[in-house]
Amino acid sequence: MFSLMANCCSWLKRWREPARKVTLVMVGLDNAGKTAAVRGIQGENPQDLAPTVGFSKVDLKQGKFEVTIFDLGGGKRIRDIWKNYYSESHGVVFVVDSSDVQRIQETRETMAQVLQHPRIAGKPVLVLANKQDLEGALAEADIIENLSLEKLVNENKCLCQIEPCSAILGCGKKVDKSIKKGLSWLLSNIAKDYEAIAERVQKDTAEQRALEEQDKKERAERVRRIREERWENGNALKSVRFVSCCLHHVCVF
Amino acid sequence: MEGLLSILRRLKQPPECEVRLLLLGLDNAGKTTLLKQLAAEDISHITPTQGFNIKSVQSSGFKLNVWDIGGQRKIRPYWRNYFENTDVLIYVIDSSDRKRFEETSLELAELLEEEKLAAVPLLVFANKQDLMTASPASELAESLNLHTIRDRMWQVQACSALTAEGVQDGMTWVCRNIKFRKR
Repeated sequence: MFSLMANCCSWLKRWREPARKVTLVMVGLDNAGKTAAVRGIQGENPQDLAPTVGFSKVDLKQGKFEVTIFDLGGGKRIRDIWKNYYSESHGVVFVVDSSDVQRIQETRETMAQVLQHPRIAGKPVLVLANKQDLEGALAEADIIENLSLEKLVNENKCLCQIEPCSAILGCGKKVDKSIKKGLSWLLSNIAKDYEAIAERVQKDTAEQRALEEQDKKERAERVRRIREERWENGNALKSVRFVSCCLHHVCVF
Repeated sequence: MEGLLSILRRLKQPPECEVRLLLLGLDNAGKTTLLKQLAAEDISHITPTQGFNIKSVQSSGFKLNVWDIGGQRKIRPYWRNYFENTDVLIYVIDSSDRKRFEETSLELAELLEEEKLAAVPLLVFANKQDLMTASPASELAESLNLHTIRDRMWQVQACSALTAEGVQDGMTWVCRNIKFRKR
């Protein structure tokens, strides 16, 4: 009876809490299934996708959370943009293609770079071991070992959970249960430490915005100067032409 | 009678799968060449566009109406006449002309602030390069300030309008990511 009442109380307490805004960054090598996973969560068809070489964003409501997921391109030539999204993120979803045994080392190095980044270290990380439906896919334990996941998360003080899944198999209500489970794990762990993470996010984001603003101003100034020069050169050229034209006339006379 | 009604209705409501694409970028970026390449037309005699060109192309079940607007500086103010009902904004840059990257990034930034283009997905065609020697998309994204965009999806596609390399891949991305805006 008491436990029932206690349950009710805690439920009521949770119910009265305001909605929490959470931003997650979704990364991983190209063809790992990031966009498929996001589409599935969103309730859209996760099949027939074009490779992302850029950025897309989805907003969804999950219980008490207003979640924004940044889905970023994973190819070698676009990966360098990831760092621009770290400061805003409360947590990370790292998607692994479990069937791509040949690139597991590349996956390991890439993941290490993400978790070691000063704007990520210490934030919770969900690893989706995707493509479990494919033959030869590495099992959970093998992935942990191949990625040296334990060492990596301990060194960077990241809470971590790994979920084997198949993003391609369903969407909406039928999305792979492990993806849902993983997402709720990530959100509840962000909630536990929400104030601290949110404060860090706010501070880092403000710093980054200030730098971007500065950069934008400098750019605008440079473009203005170039345009002015071009205009002056144009005018100078005109006057040179005018003078030579006059000289020509004088000579003729 | 019913036939007439349905014709009228069809006139009133454009078919679901018609898409309006707006092709913008600085002068000499290759917008018109790209447009002609899309329509499988001859690309050998192309002069600077003073007004606009439009072509309709069929691609994966969509009818793409592509508007190519002249990019010279003195006619850029007219771009805004074409913003309405745009489904995807395609911005073309000349990747070999690094001197004008800042100018093009500034024009793009102004476009992205336009209310009528709010939340419209952005495809950047990094033109005039063969795909093997293309500079990394991340570098390009940062010099065009794409990494500061948060209100829309964007994609970089390296291409050569001259050889058509990469052009179709860009259109595939467009077709797979169109969300119809409520009309």
